[in-house]
Amino acid sequence: MTVALDGVRYRYPAGDSDALRDVTLAFGAGEVTLVTGRLGAGCSTLLLVAAGLAPHVTGGARSGSVTTLGVDPASDKGRRKVAGRIGLLLPTPWTQLSGMSYTVREEVAFGPANLGWPRDRIGRAVSGAMALVGIEHLADRDPRTLSGGELQRVMLAGITAMDPEVLLLDEPTLELDPEGARMVYRLLPALAREKTVVLATTDVDRAVEVVTRVVLLDRGSVTADGTPDDVLGTDRAVALGCSTTIAEIVRVAGHAAPFPLTVRAAVRRFAR
Amino acid sequence: MIPLSSRLLALIPLAVGINLAMGKFAAALSLPLFLDTVGTVLVATLAGPWAAVATGVVSQVAFTVLDGKLMWMAFLPVQLGVALYAGLAARRGAFASPWRAATAGLVLGLIAATLSWPIAFLLFGGVTAGGVTVVTTLLTALGVPLKWAVYGASLSNDLLDKCVTFLLVHVVLISLPKRLSARFPAADLARGRA
Amino acid sequence: MTLGYRPGTGVLHRAHPFTVLALAGTVAVLAFTLSAPLGPMLLTAGLVAIAVAARVSRTLLTALAFAAPFWVFLVLIHVVFGDSPDRAVTVGSQISAVLVVFLMTLAAVHPGRLVDALLERGVPFHVAYLLVATLQSVPELQRRASAILDAQRCRGLRVRGSVWGRVRSVVPLAVPLVLGALGEVDDRALALEARGAASGLRRTPLDPPHDRLAERVTRWALLGSVLGTIAWRIVA
Repeated sequence: MTVALDGVRYRYPAGDSDALRDVTLAFGAGEVTLVTGRLGAGCSTLLLVAAGLAPHVTGGARSGSVTTLGVDPASDKGRRKVAGRIGLLLPTPWTQLSGMSYTVREEVAFGPANLGWPRDRIGRAVSGAMALVGIEHLADRDPRTLSGGELQRVMLAGITAMDPEVLLLDEPTLELDPEGARMVYRLLPALAREKTVVLATTDVDRAVEVVTRVVLLDRGSVTADGTPDDVLGTDRAVALGCSTTIAEIVRVAGHAAPFPLTVRAAVRRFAR
Repeated sequence: MIPLSSRLLALIPLAVGINLAMGKFAAALSLPLFLDTVGTVLVATLAGPWAAVATGVVSQVAFTVLDGKLMWMAFLPVQLGVALYAGLAARRGAFASPWRAATAGLVLGLIAATLSWPIAFLLFGGVTAGGVTVVTTLLTALGVPLKWAVYGASLSNDLLDKCVTFLLVHVVLISLPKRLSARFPAADLARGRA
Repeated sequence: MTLGYRPGTGVLHRAHPFTVLALAGTVAVLAFTLSAPLGPMLLTAGLVAIAVAARVSRTLLTALAFAAPFWVFLVLIHVVFGDSPDRAVTVGSQISAVLVVFLMTLAAVHPGRLVDALLERGVPFHVAYLLVATLQSVPELQRRASAILDAQRCRGLRVRGSVWGRVRSVVPLAVPLVLGALGEVDDRALALEARGAASGLRRTPLDPPHDRLAERVTRWALLGSVLGTIAWRIVA
């Protein structure tokens, strides 16, 4: 397992309660995990803790053990060890702009350059990442003139260009239109063949199509962990408002659990 | 050189942006103020004197480059003086009440005027920024020796400017929500709640 | 009026950023060490010739616009109300020379190119970062300041009246600007960490400018002229 949390509690500075409570989870390569829950359930915090940035940057207090790529990523020694190997994509693209780039190509190259890679390796990684995310046509644009959706894809390219072993994506499609969001999700299974991919989003309708495992959080605690059908098809997930629209409709229509999560699954169940 | 934490790397460019944007507000309200050290003083209260010194240096470079007026660079010692003074004053709770902030600001005005006076007089022959120079010219026209005219003009400007700057930072510090102030432990010291 | 970098292909644009900076530094020293008022005047004339040759002559107009108020006040203070026209000409041409070379440097040196040159010479990442990130964040905060100003004007911000009243009006402008910026600090810091900005590794310059022998010789020559005039001033 590349990421392992054991009995982790975390509280933000000035927080009135724990943002994570006794979280024990492990993530490994080969699967795309969806972490979801209501707003404030702790999904974003979970990613920050796994990346070591909470408490390293955010402050606050953590207990329990976090091991990512074999080290505690929040310790000084661990931070050097994991530099560039954990790719964390944050939800707001504007505050992620490096501020050091005059073109999209330079913006995507920001991470690899910070890792001190040789120039030809940076060039290949940047071209590859831009092709993967489909932003080659933006290469020479000034990143400060892009739309939110374009910028979000540039940021995804900037993270994947670093070729991280762990990919933590926090609401990566917040600024994208439905087609753009679907495109980003479709990249994940291929990336997960060699990497550990954890996706935190409330956009469950689209995300459920590509994930193989779902972790449901409620007020900082893990309430369910398993296949999408086992976790999201339950009364509890739908009652929390954390399941898909289809599941909600089926539940409101008076059917019993397990609920189908996608249109295709609903058709399989009802349209015989 | 000590590497700055990523929080300071993020904070300093924003603080410099505040330094320069405040001038826009002063101009819109046709106030005879620069307010171009609000960001520097703010960093002094949030992150201490050395972070403020870094902000002052970067601010002066950015101001010079963006304004195209190299002579601002000559006033770098003034920015440094402001940064150090504000950092030390913050540690002693200078922002705990409006009165303390105003008094500390007036003292800083005196220091800043004394620092900028030799620069304005020796390097620029008394001709510096718009409003101050008008006062200088008026005073010389009234027969005041140039040396004292320059000092008088700097002083009248700096006393008000630094006093308002410190009051503004005081207001910002008391309106910091808990979520933010918890991220800058030095802020509690500055507003006397430590 | 033109300020800041303008794309071009002139000799200053093609030169290594350090060469242009060396020229600027040399002028800044020579303006004050050459014997006044003839030295600074000739220096200004020489710079005008370089500006034309390097096809950055548009910066001369900006320099004129910036220098004009200085000349007006210098003449007022030293000639009309004083009695040292020499001092007015000296200070005026010193300021003019420095202004011209500074504006030329700004027009011809792209900040990104300068940062790459600096990184190649081992300047720490955070120095380079603060330089460029600040240049990019200032216009952004200016935009936000305008937006706040517009919004508060709509709510009846007092822009006239007593000085004290107008000073109080700064508060509803400053507080949202500052709190907004502070609220962003953590997000920006997280993003910088996530992209290896705190890795402590030596950053690769993406496109470092070429440095030719002729330029290195030029820089040494400029340094020589600076040391020469300083020595001459001390001896003479």
